[in-house]
Amino acid sequence: MSYVIGVILLAVITSLACALPGVFVVLRKNSMIVDGISHAVLPGIIVGFALTQDLNSPILILGAALAGLLVVLGNEWLSDTGLLAGDAPQGLIFPALFAAGIILVSMDLQHAHIDTNAVLVGDLNLAVFPALIVNGVNIGPEYLYVMLAVLAVNAAFIAVFYTRLKLTTFDRQFANVLGMRTRLLNTAFMFLVSMTVVAAFKAVGAILVISLLVVPAATAQLISKRLSVMMALTAVFAVAGALAGFWIAYVLNTGTSAAMAVFYGAMFVTVALTAKIATHIRRNRRSSKSTAAAISAPNVGAVAGE
Amino acid sequence: MTPIACECRDLSVAYREDPVLRRVNFCVPTGSVMGIVGPNGAGKSTLIKAMLGLVTPLAGTSEFFGKPLDDVRNRVGYMPQSASVDWDFPTTVIDLAVMGTYGELGWFRRPGKAERARAMAALEQTGMQAYASRQIGELSGGQRQRAFLARALVQVPDLYFMDEPFQGIDAKSQQAMIDVLKDLSAQGKTIVIVHHHLGSVLDFCDHVTLLNKSIIASGPGEETFTKDNIRIAYEASDGAEAFLAEAG
Amino acid sequence: MPKRSWQRRGKAAMDLIEFFSNHVFRMVFFGTTVIGIVSGALGAFAYLRKQSLISDVIGHAALPGALLAFLMAVVVFGINGRNMLLLIVGAVVTGTLAALFANAVAARTKIAIDTAMAISLTTFFGLGMLLLRMIANNPYPGKGGIQDYLFGNAASITRADLTTSVAVGALALTLMIVFWKEFTLRTFDPVLSTMLGFRARVIDTLMFSTIVIAIVIGVKAVGFVLMVAFVVTPPAAARQWTNTLPGMVALSAVFGGIGSGLGAYLSISLGNVPTGPVIVLVLFSIFLMSLLASPKRSIVVTALRRVRARKALRRELMAEGRNP
Repeated sequence: MSYVIGVILLAVITSLACALPGVFVVLRKNSMIVDGISHAVLPGIIVGFALTQDLNSPILILGAALAGLLVVLGNEWLSDTGLLAGDAPQGLIFPALFAAGIILVSMDLQHAHIDTNAVLVGDLNLAVFPALIVNGVNIGPEYLYVMLAVLAVNAAFIAVFYTRLKLTTFDRQFANVLGMRTRLLNTAFMFLVSMTVVAAFKAVGAILVISLLVVPAATAQLISKRLSVMMALTAVFAVAGALAGFWIAYVLNTGTSAAMAVFYGAMFVTVALTAKIATHIRRNRRSSKSTAAAISAPNVGAVAGE
Repeated sequence: MTPIACECRDLSVAYREDPVLRRVNFCVPTGSVMGIVGPNGAGKSTLIKAMLGLVTPLAGTSEFFGKPLDDVRNRVGYMPQSASVDWDFPTTVIDLAVMGTYGELGWFRRPGKAERARAMAALEQTGMQAYASRQIGELSGGQRQRAFLARALVQVPDLYFMDEPFQGIDAKSQQAMIDVLKDLSAQGKTIVIVHHHLGSVLDFCDHVTLLNKSIIASGPGEETFTKDNIRIAYEASDGAEAFLAEAG
Repeated sequence: MPKRSWQRRGKAAMDLIEFFSNHVFRMVFFGTTVIGIVSGALGAFAYLRKQSLISDVIGHAALPGALLAFLMAVVVFGINGRNMLLLIVGAVVTGTLAALFANAVAARTKIAIDTAMAISLTTFFGLGMLLLRMIANNPYPGKGGIQDYLFGNAASITRADLTTSVAVGALALTLMIVFWKEFTLRTFDPVLSTMLGFRARVIDTLMFSTIVIAIVIGVKAVGFVLMVAFVVTPPAAARQWTNTLPGMVALSAVFGGIGSGLGAYLSISLGNVPTGPVIVLVLFSIFLMSLLASPKRSIVVTALRRVRARKALRRELMAEGRNP
């Protein structure tokens, strides 16, 4: 497999793996929790790397994902104490864990040579190495298969739990009355999100992974009346952004993930503005139509009024 | 003696360390329409939430048709307060009604034609069929409540819990919903309604519970909905005084 | 990451005289302490207005502004691109834009505020990373160490930077004191403040600007990514000890100052550890201790009291049941 195709495939698969759970992240209003998770998994990744010496290791991915879950549960616990106002509980734990991670990186105890730049944005162009060789044939980057596995797990989870996820997200109390284990489902889902963040870290880093998770789904929500439509549109936006991001990065000779994040942002703004204008036009047309109807049949209204 | 649809014994609930419900003993005869009324903060919603396991009680037990909730979930329907859901959620009115079938679908079945047909029938019952493909955020307050009532109907339960279903709705929606309630009552279903407007309770409820942290009175409307009981429950608050003055 | 080896001979601990006789160490200590005090004091208002997370957005979104300021300085004016004042101006501009963008998205679309913040944060930050890469790819003068905007490099604080930080911080604190009454009213009773005729928009803008300043003055020492902790953590800790606004602002400033000074000292005397993250950990420890040890709100005491109260309540209710 050629280098360029490897990078493109990796961008597409990574964006899809992140965007699918992103739909529920956005609808559950958990976007800033993901911000917390993505910062907090850093020490988990560094320690995991020291132990496994392999960023693709499943043990590292699951272990560091637990660190992310810790933030979710820690945030919940801090809110439950009732001692803190507003969204402050969400802003206290993750900077501390991230700071610990940065200290670990700078100490370079395990000679990981992860530079801080890569911590924030990753490097998709480097993530394609090493390639997986089967029977002497290069079948693409090893990391591509890691992300494929994550995509498969995410897709399977969403497929199996679709009705449950939908109902607990929309109307948690009703789901509880139907006997659904909403808390367990929520924890499992956040673990999955955390795992996705850790797996995508190498390609897109701690901060831009938020973009991949949140922005395609948010863009889709702007113009979706139904959840199934939103899921499909999210996938479309995710892939479009991955391709465009790769192309922009290629032309400008810059990082693919940063270009993807910027393109996603621009895409969101464009769709938001277009949707606004479209509803505006529709509303105008509707109101002019109803005025016309009122003028053409004034007597009917008068009779009905009496 | 009529059989009992649901009851709770010595149910107490505390938020942190403040008691919200004190030793509530509450029972609803099968086939009745029970209105729960009381002032703000009396614990009306908390009572049904605690019975349904949405709030963990400090002490006490609840039973439905003589069994714990887990055994009879498919016979119990619930209509939450409208403020508790996300109106920007991408779902249409028909999708919302179909959610009423999720409890019986189990793990791997997805709602199909049969479920959609049932949902559509329920929407017709509440007069919402014309709005089936609208996104729920585009509905008025009354239409939203009718859509949620349709979802509860789709569940085909024997016992309905409704939390303030008439809050902030128009007269037309209110009438449509009352018609549905009377219909359900005629079919022998049991309905428990949390309600905050004293004046209209007896329009659709045959049983009334007056609640203010503990039960003031509970039973057939004409026995319990008396001036004295209302005065005790409301501790002479303005709303109750106005109502009593009007009622003479 | 550039190594933060604090050029000193291997010694277990550093005494204070040695510490303060070193010019660089003094600059680091005073620079970070000033930042801690200013962001602690102003963070109190962000905390009370329940806008803690927006400071994370502002911090990340300040990056492209600072980099654009660098490019402007180098390409257009031909001056030193790492001028602290210019950097602050650039950071304030994009930081504010990002916050306004997030609020506008939440107000005008069906997107919820937390998602709007996440969109704003990553998009602006992505732009910053693109600019950073662009600067790295081109031979601009003075671009060395520009990566430090991310995590800061306390050792790079110069006397001029310190002067600028103090001046800008003092300006923000002065604004806070001059408009104390308005800020307070707007924080606790926004409706009343509008009715009394304080122009809500003006007060909001002023208050918001001071908060943005509190976030961006830390760029050189701490970097943009971790500044959220400087704004969120000290007030959250201070809130556990006091119920009054003046008390909270003062204590939050004290916590910010002490945490930063102590963190700076620790990072230097431990050697080879970046200053910003160490300060963040010190601040977090102060917060945890406040949760545990504050006399009225200690989580341990509260939890025990709650368990006891619930038990007593249950007993009381049972007793009522036996003797009706």
